[in-house]
Amino acid sequence: MGGPHGQFPSTQLSLLEAATAGLPNDALERVIALYWKPVYRFIRIKFRKDNEDAKDLTQSFFTTALERDFFVRFDPAKASFRTYLRMAVERFAANQHAAANRQKRGGEVTFEPVEEQAVTTESPEQAFEREWQRQLFALAIEDLRVLCEESGKQIQFQIFDAYDLAGGERPSYAELAARHGIAETSVTNYLAWARRTLRGFVNDRLRGVTSGERELREEMRRLWM
Amino acid sequence: MDVSDSVLDHLRHVAALPDLSGTRYELESEIGRGGMGVVYAARDRQLDRRVALKVLDSALAGEAQLIARLEHPAIVPIYETGELPDGRAFYAMKLVAGARLDHYLAGSPSLGERLRVIRRVGEALAFAHTRGTIHRDLKPQNVMVGEFGEVYVMDWGVAAIAGTPAFRAPEASLDQRSDIYALGALLEFMLIAPGSSAAPPALRAIAAKAMSADPAARYPVAAALLADIDRFQEGRAVEAWSEPLWHRLRRFGSHNAVLLWLLAAYAIVKFALFFLRTR
Repeated sequence: MGGPHGQFPSTQLSLLEAATAGLPNDALERVIALYWKPVYRFIRIKFRKDNEDAKDLTQSFFTTALERDFFVRFDPAKASFRTYLRMAVERFAANQHAAANRQKRGGEVTFEPVEEQAVTTESPEQAFEREWQRQLFALAIEDLRVLCEESGKQIQFQIFDAYDLAGGERPSYAELAARHGIAETSVTNYLAWARRTLRGFVNDRLRGVTSGERELREEMRRLWM
Repeated sequence: MDVSDSVLDHLRHVAALPDLSGTRYELESEIGRGGMGVVYAARDRQLDRRVALKVLDSALAGEAQLIARLEHPAIVPIYETGELPDGRAFYAMKLVAGARLDHYLAGSPSLGERLRVIRRVGEALAFAHTRGTIHRDLKPQNVMVGEFGEVYVMDWGVAAIAGTPAFRAPEASLDQRSDIYALGALLEFMLIAPGSSAAPPALRAIAAKAMSADPAARYPVAAALLADIDRFQEGRAVEAWSEPLWHRLRRFGSHNAVLLWLLAAYAIVKFALFFLRTR
């Protein structure tokens, strides 16, 4: 990576830039890629929906957003896009939930699906935020993997994968160096590069789902500090 | 891919760490964080000494230049400014060995010592104001008392900071008088800190004047507040307080004790002579 003054080159337009450039579908794709899972999880916890109902509601929400002027109505002066979207989901799902209940009361008696969710202590809002972070990093890791493959830096990704993505105990730098036949300092440098590049991809993904520089800075501060 | 909670936490931590490759510094540990940046302890390999390294959002790179221009004994000296490979700005500064003011006050320093600290803070503010710089976020967490008693005011003039509620002036647009407000709030904080004896009303009045809701009712400059503290310490009337008569007499008494003792002795002798003569 490089760019002017070593800054990470941005590949994504902000939401408002995208709307101005007449690319709302492109913007929506980015939003869906990042927000599908957080929205799904929020609906599951907040409205106690089972897997299938939550999936359907999530799908309906994004379809409705696509049909309506969802982005046009977003006012960055009032809230961050993340908050705006979560509140929109809440309103949408609440309306659907109420409509479904009315239908049930007017028709035959049906049994609620058995609650299969694991008991969670976090609020729906916390779950939404956490899932959003998780998805943001998952997408950025995928960006990093693709970049490494395309630029012949597979070893850098393998070291990053083995160390930073390790679910359990992390191998030592010496073990990684021996495994790949490189110097221990190279492990340090490769990890530093991968982390720096990952950070750049995360920030770039954030840029794609925020309204502009100010919101981006605030989101970066929330994420990194 | 699925990112577990522990991996997510780890990635958020390691990807935020400054990449110091290509610099003369070696990262040691995080020592503090604020709204605008994180401060790390680092080792300067070239000079073999420890420094404090503040890493900022790149949009705030001007902060380092701003502070570097403020050369004052109560403002931490900046050694170097630079840019990390990811575009973030950083600056290296003196690593102050000491305690943050709120921790320092836990040791119950004397009133005189607390006033010495507030004087140093006020002098730093007065100096910065003459250079056209305002602090914007003066609070106990931004004041360090070093191991030799030196006082440092940290975290200067970051435009995006809105201030810390208890120390922030009510006006929307901050200027030098907003710093005077914060200085008054800091004085009040130091006077009522746990372990301190009852604060003299004159000092409380100085803090209250500095913290007036109307900026025009505050001290116009930091030096005026310090001058009022001087008056208090010299036993004179302070501008901020129209004291009751009994208090004025008491202050006059304590300030002119020798003169009063001499007068009293003179009166006693005079009375004794008069008494002896009339016998």
